[in-house]
Amino acid sequence: MSDTSGVVISAAVEGIVDEAVIRRLIAHAGAASDAVYGRQGKRHLRQRILGYNEAARRTPWVVLVDLDNDNCAPPLRDAWIPVPPAPGLCFRVAVREVEAWLIADADGLSQFLHVARTRVPRDPEALVDPKNAMVNLARASRLWDLREDMVPHQHSGREVGRAYSSRLIEFASSSWSPEVGSRHSDSLRRAIECLQRLVENAG
Amino acid sequence: MRFSRVQLKNWKNFAQCDVRIAGRVFLVGPNASGKSNFLDAFRFLRDLASDGGGFSEAVRRRRGVGAIRCLAARQEPEVEIRVTAETRGPGSQWQYLLAFNQNKARRRPEIIREKVLLNGKTLLERPTDTDRKDPELLKQTNLEQTGTNKDFRELVSFLASIQYLHIVPQLVRDPDRSVGRPNDHFGGDFLVKIERTPKARQEASLRKIKDALSIAVPKLAEIKLEPDSRGTQHLLGKYEHWRPQGAWQNEEQFSDGTLRLMGLLWVSMETGGPLLLEEPELSLHSEIVRYLPQMFARVQRRTGRQFLISTHSPDLLSDEGIALDEVLLLRPGGKGTEVTPASEFEEIPALLSGGSTLADAIVPKTRPDHAEQIALFGDK
Repeated sequence: MSDTSGVVISAAVEGIVDEAVIRRLIAHAGAASDAVYGRQGKRHLRQRILGYNEAARRTPWVVLVDLDNDNCAPPLRDAWIPVPPAPGLCFRVAVREVEAWLIADADGLSQFLHVARTRVPRDPEALVDPKNAMVNLARASRLWDLREDMVPHQHSGREVGRAYSSRLIEFASSSWSPEVGSRHSDSLRRAIECLQRLVENAG
Repeated sequence: MRFSRVQLKNWKNFAQCDVRIAGRVFLVGPNASGKSNFLDAFRFLRDLASDGGGFSEAVRRRRGVGAIRCLAARQEPEVEIRVTAETRGPGSQWQYLLAFNQNKARRRPEIIREKVLLNGKTLLERPTDTDRKDPELLKQTNLEQTGTNKDFRELVSFLASIQYLHIVPQLVRDPDRSVGRPNDHFGGDFLVKIERTPKARQEASLRKIKDALSIAVPKLAEIKLEPDSRGTQHLLGKYEHWRPQGAWQNEEQFSDGTLRLMGLLWVSMETGGPLLLEEPELSLHSEIVRYLPQMFARVQRRTGRQFLISTHSPDLLSDEGIALDEVLLLRPGGKGTEVTPASEFEEIPALLSGGSTLADAIVPKTRPDHAEQIALFGDK
């Protein structure tokens, strides 16, 4: 689907992979992306959330955050937005990290990473650490290039490899299917529905 | 082949330095902490090994031993550079050591020691008896002499393949640029280099650069190289503006950022020895800068090329794929500048686990003392 609706949506996210995912979802909902804000971690978003909420009284907005180790999404939203949420704001929480949404399209991911389909976790929202699961999947890749880009070297001190994000951005912007993913991730399905409502109401 | 370790004694800002070198290295530190001088140790080695270079010339280009020697050194001790380079996988390990000083009696820089080792075995150790009998020989390293370097030509060509890039857009645009400046790392011969590339590869490379550039410069539709009536080469870019046919501009009209990004993309496509990049973030939009580390990582994975990069950019350092042993922190002190890998700071993993980016964790350590005093200059 392309931006057939003429609706333009602004977004705020935690990082650059989230940006690729949200841009893909906005296009999937038939809208066009405006600027994507934040991308400097969760704390940065939280400090600015009330501004995004205010802006959403004028134009449509989507804010995407990772649930991480919090228990569930509704209390997280109440804690983040203690004022009445703007009707034009779609506040979505990925359970537990945006990587789980990418893992939810198991066929697409197994082809992209060159790993056996059976290795891809079946219940992405049950993963405690989806980013780690993604790195471990890449570790099993048949392609040296992919392993080299996505898996951190020993002693690197980082969770991910040197071109991990750009590899995931490649996947999120091309072969990832939000449609397929939404069948295996409830939080992704809700995000897609929320964006569709935003487009209907704004259109 | 790539460098795996460097040891410096009395080299410019560094009284003593011994660090491991990763395949991709980011040098961070306050102004004048010695980032360029650290890179210059590698350029010095390149000068020793390349045509038209050699030891005396390399020292002369740096205004003599006195200008090279560390200011923190009390007497006038010798300067020493020692590097280890390794081939990929379980290959060979080379070591090269050069110590030199000014010989006051003969008023010239002279070699005090020179050593080449391959897998721990000594291939060369100077001074030899011949050197002692004929001190004239101490004016030259054995790297620069075809007659004496036959056992270690692999090392010589590796050192000669080191490339330094710090494109100064004003020089690329200079109409006299092609006169007498071969291998100009400031970009004076950038267009000549493109011209000398075989036609098919040149066109393919320019097409790839155009595709990449159009991300940063969306209106750019085509680039090509064409000589003017005097034969001087010009880089032409077609911009899709309001005119239906688009408008051609040459390098004089390109923005600083466009020229610098072109230079970066061009060298990233070349295969070759270690690439020394001075502040690649200059003139570029922070959004482009943010993705440079991943571009370098991918180039390195594909070509094996080593990158040594000096930077002040938090955007660049915020990349979550930068390993802690890839970052070298330069901090000036009473005994010269100290070089410490970010992996040696115990607090950094804790900061990262708490949600800090690497830039958040490292940039405050590079803050110049009393930076706030700069504001007061406004009242002077």
